[in-house]
Amino acid sequence: MKNSFDEKILDEANDWLSSKQSVVLATVIQTWGSSPRQVGSRMIVNDKGDFSGSVSGGCVETAVVRECLDLLKEKKPFKKIEFKVSNESAWEVGLACGGEIAIFLEQIN
Amino acid sequence: MKKELLKKIIEKKGKKIEFSVITNLEDGKGCIFEKDKPIDKNFEKYKNEIISQFNKKNNGIIEGTNIFVENYIRPIKVIIIGAVHIAQYLINFAKDLNFEIFIIDPRGYFASEQRFPGIKISNKWPKDALAEIKTDQNTALVALTHDPKIDDPALQHALKKEFFYIGALGSKKTHANRCARLKETGFADEQINRIFGPIGIKLGGKSAPEIALSIIAQLVSEVYKK
Repeated sequence: MKNSFDEKILDEANDWLSSKQSVVLATVIQTWGSSPRQVGSRMIVNDKGDFSGSVSGGCVETAVVRECLDLLKEKKPFKKIEFKVSNESAWEVGLACGGEIAIFLEQIN
Repeated sequence: MKKELLKKIIEKKGKKIEFSVITNLEDGKGCIFEKDKPIDKNFEKYKNEIISQFNKKNNGIIEGTNIFVENYIRPIKVIIIGAVHIAQYLINFAKDLNFEIFIIDPRGYFASEQRFPGIKISNKWPKDALAEIKTDQNTALVALTHDPKIDDPALQHALKKEFFYIGALGSKKTHANRCARLKETGFADEQINRIFGPIGIKLGGKSAPEIALSIIAQLVSEVYKK
């Protein structure tokens, strides 16, 4: 038995939409190895770059915000992105814990 | 995702309905799937795989496709006997964990809307109140009054049912007396041993929020033992 996961991100997305903000929803759709968040984990990003929720343990959120802002700017409805094990370069965005994740970004409209 | 779909998801979550959200990662289209209801025609050809992932509560992409399935399962139901101070902290933790909460306390001045805003409260005696609540193996009972005339009937009810967790507040001595009473009523040791008493994991804290935390920690750990 599992509990029903609900971090209220979708409820928050609805609140953001009600206050006329553009919202991009990011959902973890696939994981490989030891990724910090499970499939179905979510975060939302608005057009100012504010975000709520998480798709990793803080490793890739900054990059996801950037991707979401690009999506809004380019007026694309959706996009799939992937993050892999981080390289030695400390400045590179990646999962320090060694996993890989695929994230689906979609505008809510 | 369409706004309408988002609103539908929120509505169904609120009604504690089990469903799946299906997304086509190639064209961004999405729909809601419910067991025994017709499936959206855009997803008709994946019907069997969707039903299989829904039944297994398996979140993820259907193998060899671009179809993503996310399942929403019914939340754990927690019935609290006793609208006491610890219960006020307990419901805050439980809300964050998405548990569905019921409070039963025949003492109206304890179980008031003002003390527990937005929570389902019954002021009936546990025997009558519990008869009105549907329970199953996803239900937990947390008895907090340590008053035998309120807690005991609730514990007796739960022991006869499928509850996955039954806990009762009280010292070791209180719990030993409680067990003796249940034995007198005809319950076997095996049944009585299902009760977590004294309730909660050993944290050491004695304040109401600390006891609430120790109870909720035990409850969550039991959820994942099933």
